[in-house]
Amino acid sequence: MGAEASVDFCARSVGHLRDALPRVLGVSLAPAADAANMRRTSGVVILGYLGAGALLAGVVMGGFSALLSFWAGWRESDVFIQVGRRAFYAAAVMTVLAAVLLEVALLSHDFSLAYVVEHTDLSTPTALVAAGFYGGQEGSLLYWTLILGVLGAASLFASSRLGARISAYATGILAAILSFFLFVLAVVASPFDLLSVTPPDGLGLNPVLRDGGMLIHPPVVLAGFASFAIPFSFACAALLAGRADAVWIAHTRRFALLAWSLQTAGLLLGMWWAYHVLGWGGYWGWDPVENVALMPWLATTAYLHSSQVQERRGRLRSWNFGLVILAFLLVVFGTFIVRSGVVPSVHTFAISAIGPWFFAFLFVCVVFSGTLLAFRAASLGEASGPAPAVSREGAFVLQNLLLIGVVAVVLWGTVLPLVSGMFGTERVVGAPYYERAAAPLFATILALMAVGPLLPWRHAGRPVLRALRWPATAALVVMTGLFVAGVRSAPALVAVPLAVAAGATVASEYTRAALKRPMSILRRRRRYGAYLAHLGLVVVVVGIAASHFGQQEKDVTLQPGAQVTVAGYTLTYTGAQKRQLTDHTEFVAGMRFGDQTLEPSRATYAGLGGQALTHVAITTTPLADVYVVLAGTNDDGSASFRVFVNPLVSWVWAGGAVIILGVVLGNVGERSPIPELARRRIPITLPA
Amino acid sequence: MSMALRWGLPAVVVAACVGYLIYSASGGASEYYVTVSQLRSQSAAGDVRVAGEVQDDVQKSGGGLHVTFTEKDKTASIPVEYTGTLPDIFRPGITVVAEGKLGSDGVFHARTLLAKCPSRFSTQPYTQ
Repeated sequence: MGAEASVDFCARSVGHLRDALPRVLGVSLAPAADAANMRRTSGVVILGYLGAGALLAGVVMGGFSALLSFWAGWRESDVFIQVGRRAFYAAAVMTVLAAVLLEVALLSHDFSLAYVVEHTDLSTPTALVAAGFYGGQEGSLLYWTLILGVLGAASLFASSRLGARISAYATGILAAILSFFLFVLAVVASPFDLLSVTPPDGLGLNPVLRDGGMLIHPPVVLAGFASFAIPFSFACAALLAGRADAVWIAHTRRFALLAWSLQTAGLLLGMWWAYHVLGWGGYWGWDPVENVALMPWLATTAYLHSSQVQERRGRLRSWNFGLVILAFLLVVFGTFIVRSGVVPSVHTFAISAIGPWFFAFLFVCVVFSGTLLAFRAASLGEASGPAPAVSREGAFVLQNLLLIGVVAVVLWGTVLPLVSGMFGTERVVGAPYYERAAAPLFATILALMAVGPLLPWRHAGRPVLRALRWPATAALVVMTGLFVAGVRSAPALVAVPLAVAAGATVASEYTRAALKRPMSILRRRRRYGAYLAHLGLVVVVVGIAASHFGQQEKDVTLQPGAQVTVAGYTLTYTGAQKRQLTDHTEFVAGMRFGDQTLEPSRATYAGLGGQALTHVAITTTPLADVYVVLAGTNDDGSASFRVFVNPLVSWVWAGGAVIILGVVLGNVGERSPIPELARRRIPITLPA
Repeated sequence: MSMALRWGLPAVVVAACVGYLIYSASGGASEYYVTVSQLRSQSAAGDVRVAGEVQDDVQKSGGGLHVTFTEKDKTASIPVEYTGTLPDIFRPGITVVAEGKLGSDGVFHARTLLAKCPSRFSTQPYTQ
């Protein structure tokens, strides 16, 4: 009670912009004015002051870099372009400094900082205290800014070879984005806000978040989000500079891949965490927070494919610009949705003052990139000559359109409450909407995964039909097999065979290469790495289809010694125990399953108003997960459970690992990311 | 065939398909998201989602798998009945979103129950 009560009294000393600005200015420019206060608190408070000062210095450096770079790029002044780039590095260093200071404050339990009090306490394990850095609104923004600064600096490092203009404009755009984030951090949502009274202990982390998943899921997702800014900045810079060639694509390819891989991993880790912690037996609920993480991933997936068309064939120039811009806008839109609370979601961040700021930022980004695209797209031009519909590039175009179709479906479902709320009663859609609308699109994409890699560039003739015999046979065999095995769900009978066909395509490509030219698998790593990622996705799809259509569940109340059988898996309830731990009590039920004992439990945290926390017990067999949730215990010794049997869920996680492996093996250590075509053919330089 | 037609035609076809999918799927699957007072004032047929605060009269039975409680907003309240596992943070005082039907008995029969966590990453709301 003690800590909580004292925090109740000492509200944050800073609430509004008008209070914050003079404070930040005063503090960071003249820390000596607070000398008495500092002496009293034996110098600990200085962390907060230094942090706020670093943020403010970052804003100044970033703003300077943005203005100077745009001007220098326009004038093509090499010296000032360099100065602008170095100012960006300085802003990035300030961001790193602020991040280090916040981490030090957390680890040293500096409870003079509101952020430290709100997200940690003395009993939190050190790893989770460190994770508190990105565990709250302000800290997660700082983490995002940190990634933006570091990756931005890395992307600018070798950018001068792209040409003076493009490099300068990219610096300017990155610096503008970085300054916006630093400004929000310094003024609107500062992690360095001080409390007027320093409490003896913090409030601690919500028990739901006291989990290993907390250490890894948020940083990966946030890093993924932040890294979308780099392809965006270079795309806009190329548009501004009037460079329609693929050089920006080649330069940012690594960053686009990094963003995509991080987002892939982030989505899967989020699913894994939800599945293991939340206890509803599933891993994807089409919640707005999940949707806004999915949409930029879909757009970037489209871009990674369509950019090859531009690199290899010089087509789809304006489309590629559009996709990269769309991905970044979706990230900003998602951040706005999640952090402003405008859409009803099960899990939103605290509704905070940053909503309007992000709305304004989104507006500026939309107007800026939209105008740029509209004015430049007409003059981008396309490679001449007809493009036959049945060709590799045709498959990429169709796949792109379908992926953007899925984005439209998800976007509509996400914003429906907003839109319908404006015209009457708020309406929402649940999982059935997304499944009905997106499933046919996903199925067609799977079919394209089976056909596309077999199509040659430019023109497809009769040999393609012969190449298709393996995937087609595999699909038919699997479909028949599933039907004979008793599967009657139509979506499952379509999804799994199509996924298998896509897998068969990859297998036949590998076999063909291994038989004819085994070394080409190593020489053309990009291609065969991508096929490996395809294979991973196939495994994921089979896992999702099996666990979605084959899930069985049962609610049951059992006396000790009683048994329950779900989908052929038998569990025996052996009794429950009560354990008293320092900050919570825990009921642990024993469920014998074969020769192992599952221990689903339910903890109650008295200090948090009696909040309960369910610990799911999961055991993975080769074919399915047995997933036991303890719903409650009764006075007569009986206990209630919800038991799920989820087939092949582990395939989802394994397939995800294969996808990442494919991207890594296909790209890490590649010496020249700029392919020959992009370097040799730089045909179009528009008047800037 | 002209360039615009070549690329534009598939785009239009896909866009039309996506539009149709969105239209047909949202027609059948969308639900009204209402407050307790709105639910009281209109007789909505079919499934709705209703948000409100859980009152102190939570009754659990069946080992915690069956629960009844009153959901209330500023002006109206409604009895809710639900069978299934409860969200972890479910308790009097929090806001829940119940998805289900208002029965002729005046009781809201919830199919799913979502706890709205005012803040996912902060313990602030638990300060009492």
